[in-house]
Amino acid sequence: MKKIEAIIKPFKLDDVKDGLSGIGIKGISVTEIKGFGRQRGHKEVYRGAEYQVDFVSKIKIEVVLESELVPEAVKTIQEKAHTGQIGDGKIFILPVEEAIRIRTGETGKEAI
Amino acid sequence: MKSAFEELKEAKAHLVKQLSEDTCLKDFQASYTEIIDQYFRASLEESETGRGLFKKKRPFTFVAVGGYGRKELCLHSDIDIIILFSSKIPAEAKDLAEEIFFPLWNLGLDLGYGVRTMKDCLSLCRDDFEVLTSMMDSRFICGDSPLYLSLMENLQKKVVVKKSMAFTRWLDDQNKIRMDKFGDASYLLEPHLKEGIGGLRDYHHILWIARTCFDLRTPRDLEYYGKLSHNEYRELEEDLMFIWLVRNHLHLISGRKNDQLHFDYQEKIAEQIGFKNKGGLLAVERFLGKLHSCMASIKSLHKSFINTHLPKRGLSKKRDKPEIISNGLTLYQDEIYFDSSTAILSNPFLLLEIFEKCSVLCCRLSLESMRLLREFLYLVDDTFRASEKATQLFLTIINNKYTFEALDQMFETGFLEVFIPEFGEIKDRVQFDAYHMFPVGRHSLETVRQLKELANRKELLLHDLLLDLADPQSIFLAAFLHDIGKKGKDHSRKGKAIATTILKRLGYDKKKTEDILFLIRHHLLLAETATRRDLNDEKIVVTCSRTIRDVERLKMLYLLTWADSKATGPKAWNEWISNLVQELFFKIMHILEGKELATAHASQKGKNTQSQVRGLVAGKISAHDLDKFFEVMTPRYLLNSSPHDIVRHISMVEQLGKTSQQFEPSAFVIDTRQDSGDDYWELVFSAKDRPGLFSDLSGVLAINNINILSADIYTWRDGTALDIFQVSRPLDPIHPEETWQHVERDLKNTFKGKLSLAYRLGQKAEPSILSDRKKPSRPPKVIIDNESSDFFTLIEVFADDRVGLLYDITHTLFELRLDIRIAIIATKVDQIADVFYVRDLEGQKVKDEDQLKEIKEALDYKLGLT
Repeated sequence: MKKIEAIIKPFKLDDVKDGLSGIGIKGISVTEIKGFGRQRGHKEVYRGAEYQVDFVSKIKIEVVLESELVPEAVKTIQEKAHTGQIGDGKIFILPVEEAIRIRTGETGKEAI
Repeated sequence: MKSAFEELKEAKAHLVKQLSEDTCLKDFQASYTEIIDQYFRASLEESETGRGLFKKKRPFTFVAVGGYGRKELCLHSDIDIIILFSSKIPAEAKDLAEEIFFPLWNLGLDLGYGVRTMKDCLSLCRDDFEVLTSMMDSRFICGDSPLYLSLMENLQKKVVVKKSMAFTRWLDDQNKIRMDKFGDASYLLEPHLKEGIGGLRDYHHILWIARTCFDLRTPRDLEYYGKLSHNEYRELEEDLMFIWLVRNHLHLISGRKNDQLHFDYQEKIAEQIGFKNKGGLLAVERFLGKLHSCMASIKSLHKSFINTHLPKRGLSKKRDKPEIISNGLTLYQDEIYFDSSTAILSNPFLLLEIFEKCSVLCCRLSLESMRLLREFLYLVDDTFRASEKATQLFLTIINNKYTFEALDQMFETGFLEVFIPEFGEIKDRVQFDAYHMFPVGRHSLETVRQLKELANRKELLLHDLLLDLADPQSIFLAAFLHDIGKKGKDHSRKGKAIATTILKRLGYDKKKTEDILFLIRHHLLLAETATRRDLNDEKIVVTCSRTIRDVERLKMLYLLTWADSKATGPKAWNEWISNLVQELFFKIMHILEGKELATAHASQKGKNTQSQVRGLVAGKISAHDLDKFFEVMTPRYLLNSSPHDIVRHISMVEQLGKTSQQFEPSAFVIDTRQDSGDDYWELVFSAKDRPGLFSDLSGVLAINNINILSADIYTWRDGTALDIFQVSRPLDPIHPEETWQHVERDLKNTFKGKLSLAYRLGQKAEPSILSDRKKPSRPPKVIIDNESSDFFTLIEVFADDRVGLLYDITHTLFELRLDIRIAIIATKVDQIADVFYVRDLEGQKVKDEDQLKEIKEALDYKLGLT
């Protein structure tokens, strides 16, 4: 079992979500996040006063899935979130030791 | 004969069955209380211990306290009871309690009891006001009634009278604690029926104050003694009945004592008490609308009651004397009073003027004023609404400092919905989700509040924007009206139509009306675009800019977006969204200030061009395919190209598409034509864009002795490059096609690596005895401009023209890994003035200082070579 964490541009969320459900992924978690990478914040000036934006608004999605599905899911995210410009985001893949569905107590594959 | 316990069991089961079957069983509390009372009476009769105590002259009495005392028992309410003895508690009291109370516990009822003497009771009440309140609600059930009466008498004389000041202060504090705890957003979405604001506790407070200050013993006395008007009492009763009904069903569904209406239960209860989907609203939304409106009116009554009857703290001395603030209105102790009801009859505008005073003084109306206001609402008719006096007063309220406070009371008293009937239709609408905190009416007022409070905050962009507005009145009116069309889908369009009627009635300035209608129509534009669109796409931003059209409106729209979101709920606005909207705001502002792409003229021209193109290609290209082309064209391209040219370009791009499908990696299409005059030609080149393309082109033209007079290069959003050159006439004007064939051949060879442009140009530039003699020259100049555009770095180059100059410049830019997206090339006599719109390989403006320095130095170096 793996967990995929992907940081993407906000307006790409729908595309990525549809892409993932298209390949049979049943659930994802979505978080609104702020941060910076190579794409830094920027400064605006209005009537002499500066308004500094340090962090850029992004979306983080998290998916836990079976290892076999990872390549396809990654490919989907990469395709759907791609604009070719800076700030398209990143994908991380992490190992997951166990998953438990709280309601039923099912574990492993059944729980995701 | 059945035992008391058997009877209780049967009666209760029957009542619960009725509750679950009868959707609007109203008197559950009364019936349930009666069943429990009956049990106590009957079981006391059955009790040996009880009879024994009376025989021994140790009289006692059963007293219902708290909610049971008030006859407000809901399905799983606690039942609190006291066994009262006059002086000493006999040993048998314990047996008595066990005998009578144990069966109730077995039945699963939450019974709390105390065995106390008169003295215990009084001292507990003195020490703990919580106990005092439950004792104030007490009621005799059975046993020795003189004992109960003497308890009540002592309570009044020895506790209530003596402690009244401390007690009312305690009530006031409790109230504040409750406001803090239950006033936040989550309790608006999932109301707490008992402790929540506008919940049952508010009503209890009214009762306790009435008891303390006026010695009123039953709720009815509120009306009999004139503390509440007949209508107020009747409404209060109805509202309470509804809340109790909901509470009983909540207890039934959750199977326990639970007074918070969680999301999970809301739909089920709506269905159970008979709400249906209607008029585009879900049953649950109609149910919550009704509940909110009941709680709002209890809240309002409670607030006025407290203000009127509780001694005020921290009042300024100045306002301790009545002060006449207008003909017919008096200010006393921070509340405004009507002088008399006849004053209202002779001048109905007092009904609105009183709120106008609120909006200046930040005061409340007295309970008495609210009462009169409600009585005289009938005076607000069509003539009143449209009168100049009334509309002026209303607009003054909108302008004054305390607009929110005034609107809030206009809302509470029902004046607002009478004065603006359209508002009445939406005020109780609820959206069933975790996002919208308030019903629409309250949300509209909250939006106004956000903007009004903004004026007091410092060092905020929004604050500066608000102060800079030429016409602040319109933004407040727009805030108040922005959701006026919230009746199902497409509410901003509906809202615009409804607001048109309202603003006309208010006699609002025509031009300003346009602004407000615009704001209502587009109040979601910024938030939706910011979160759902690519803000790095210039076309998206230009499209928004064209909708908005001027900076003043943009500022208003940004303010409204912010206030609207803040007033929606904590999930609708946070720093995350704020960043996105602010980015969009600045990008639109820069485009609008640029006065190029987003003027009224520009957007009209864009539309005209599109429709002409449609006419020209009708029948040849399907509307669907044509739309796809328009979609990828940039605003700049559409603005600067004629319909005929666009048609020509489209057919080139179609041809390019076919060639690329044949796996020709460096496919391109070239098209030339002689311009009307004899002097120059137009050459159009199209290919998939890639770095260095433009530099290759200019090199090939240079080695073919073609002088570029001007050029426009466009890159469509799908990556199609479209370069349009105005070039000097070929050297051989008799056979121009030969030159173009050479150009095509050289381009192919360059793309395939069979031709080195640098080498060929170098050869060509070798000095010759035929070279022009030295001409007066000016030093070259390179300006890098990162301010003018949010999307590109602009590089401006001024220099003397020479063969291969454009190649040198563009090749240098290519070397520096810059992508030329737009180029405006102009040659005047012997001087060039070129502007290149570039981005780095990651599609960003160039921000790196070192890179910028290198660009300038490299260009300076190239231009310096002659």
